[in-house]
Amino acid sequence: MSVRPPSVAERLLDQIAEPAPQHVRDADLAIEAFGLVKHFGEIHAVNGVDLRVKPGQVFGFLGQNGSGKTTTVRMLTTLLRPTAGDARVAGFNVLSEDRQIRRAIGVALQEAGLDILQTGRELLRLQSRLYNVPRVEIEDRIAHLLDVVDLTEDADRRIGGYSGGMQRRLDLASALVHSPSIIFLDEPTTGLDPISRQNLWDYIQRLNREDGVTFFLTTQYLEEADQLCDEIAILDAGEIVQQGTPDQLKATVSADVIYVQVEGDERAQQRAVSALLPLPNVEDANWDFNEGITVYSKSGHDTLPRVVRTLDDEDLPFSNLRLARATLDDVFFKATGHRIEPDGQGGQAAPTTGGGAA
Amino acid sequence: MTTAQPPAEFQTSASREAGPLQVLTDARHLAVRAIRESVRQPGVEITNVFIPLFFLAVSTGAIANFSERGFGVENYLAFQLPVAVLQAVAGSSAASGIAIVLDMERGYFDKLLLTPASRWSLIIGRVWADAVRAIFFASIMLIAALVAGSGMATGVPGAILILVIAGLFGGAYSGIGIFIAMRTGNAQAAQAGFLLFFPLLFMAPAFAPLAVFDDWLRWIATVNPVTYIMEGMRGLVMEGYAWPVTEGGQIVFGPDGLPLTKDPPALHWAFVSLAGFSAFTLTIAALALRARTRAD
Repeated sequence: MSVRPPSVAERLLDQIAEPAPQHVRDADLAIEAFGLVKHFGEIHAVNGVDLRVKPGQVFGFLGQNGSGKTTTVRMLTTLLRPTAGDARVAGFNVLSEDRQIRRAIGVALQEAGLDILQTGRELLRLQSRLYNVPRVEIEDRIAHLLDVVDLTEDADRRIGGYSGGMQRRLDLASALVHSPSIIFLDEPTTGLDPISRQNLWDYIQRLNREDGVTFFLTTQYLEEADQLCDEIAILDAGEIVQQGTPDQLKATVSADVIYVQVEGDERAQQRAVSALLPLPNVEDANWDFNEGITVYSKSGHDTLPRVVRTLDDEDLPFSNLRLARATLDDVFFKATGHRIEPDGQGGQAAPTTGGGAA
Repeated sequence: MTTAQPPAEFQTSASREAGPLQVLTDARHLAVRAIRESVRQPGVEITNVFIPLFFLAVSTGAIANFSERGFGVENYLAFQLPVAVLQAVAGSSAASGIAIVLDMERGYFDKLLLTPASRWSLIIGRVWADAVRAIFFASIMLIAALVAGSGMATGVPGAILILVIAGLFGGAYSGIGIFIAMRTGNAQAAQAGFLLFFPLLFMAPAFAPLAVFDDWLRWIATVNPVTYIMEGMRGLVMEGYAWPVTEGGQIVFGPDGLPLTKDPPALHWAFVSLAGFSAFTLTIAALALRARTRAD
């Protein structure tokens, strides 16, 4: 194929254009992004996301609805063009090598994208053909995937008759027909019953462990992120506010967390926080209108009686005192200032292809 | 230039490199799926049969006794047959726009965009399926009219040519539905794709010959591609083949700038109009797809 030589205008534009930012690229990374930005008019859905996901990793994007998770996934999977920034997936550029990326990845989006007039088997067959899976392998591969997602008996029924959980499982199977090395799962277990959720977790772990498949998943579920992910990025208002392994993230808050509800107005709350902060082992303390007072301590058992004594000394009545081990919920709260609310209506969904806001 | 391969560790075990004809292969798979969609919704498709047959029956019933005296058409059922064919085909092809919007709403359109299949195969698959569906619906109109006594001046080859024209018109008309679906993503707007056909139909010699039209309407009809497609089919049903007059290998043009034909109306103008009409509709459909999939 011949390549058109650049026109005079293009050469001039090249000369006056600002040089593209030079990033140090690691060819071995499964996914990398530099300053990924996506704006929909006035709405800034993603504001400069940097990512480095190693092959074989399960990388989790944790955030509430509207935090920019889905928009980021849509950019990395070539469904949306970034407003600014750059990203490579499987070694290919999302802007110039989108088709090569689509050949290398599998994607199950937040809404199971299915054709309700086809049967499960027909959908997987069409998907296999569009991925150019060798014809002789298609039927065996479909049978295997149907077995994995427990849909063998329903394979020849129309998808319109499937339950929500069955549709999600079929959607996942359709993302796997071509044995991709990188799989994007956007809130894969939302809407699944606990048994289906556990089965899906088991399958993700098995594919990751046995076949070395890289997973990039978004979730609102702390437990899911904790159990599945090697590395987690907490996304808030389109920015990564905290990143690390689950243990590293938990280490950013203290080992123990003490929750207590103090009676009184905001001044009483501030007085309580001021009195608790200087206590031994206390690393941080804050008040939230909904949550009450949260005290982060290196040693909860030592701090707990001191909290009681201090509040008594300050003549501040209190209730609901409890001690807990730090969880990702506490990490999320400390990083974003609010608790994660799965399935909440706190934000807007990313648009389908072609426009809208996220 | 060769297409880059994923780095070794990211190569999938099953997904092969596509060949140059892959876009047609993908389009064929998508066309089969679109046809299956129709077969599984007979209730939706029934209107594409019922409405044109109804119009064929009532317009023939109302005008046939008068048509010979009024404007010299002896066999009005035959005169109306191309109208029924085009109406059935336009109704069937406009439904593609609605099907695409439904795919978008259900997220299946994104799923297709996420495959390595060429974006163009999404359009070609729909156009392909609409051409096949058009031939099917045109066959029903043809059989119904023949049973009712329309006759076919050019016999079986002429009937096959009518089906070919219907298929090409169906493929071309699906471009309008695809364009609306891509631009709006709205089912109601896509539904209006069929309504656009009515001005094209009524500003063509659908119910009476061009000769009896007022000058202004005749002028519009002469720039309406549906006029030539309809007249091309009508010639096959009522008159016979019409070939351009040639002298020394050159086509002879008349005073109106149109080629003279031995036995007008000319079949070749139907194909010229189809080429122009499909070039227009498929170009706007392709541009709309490009705009949607490259949304910034």
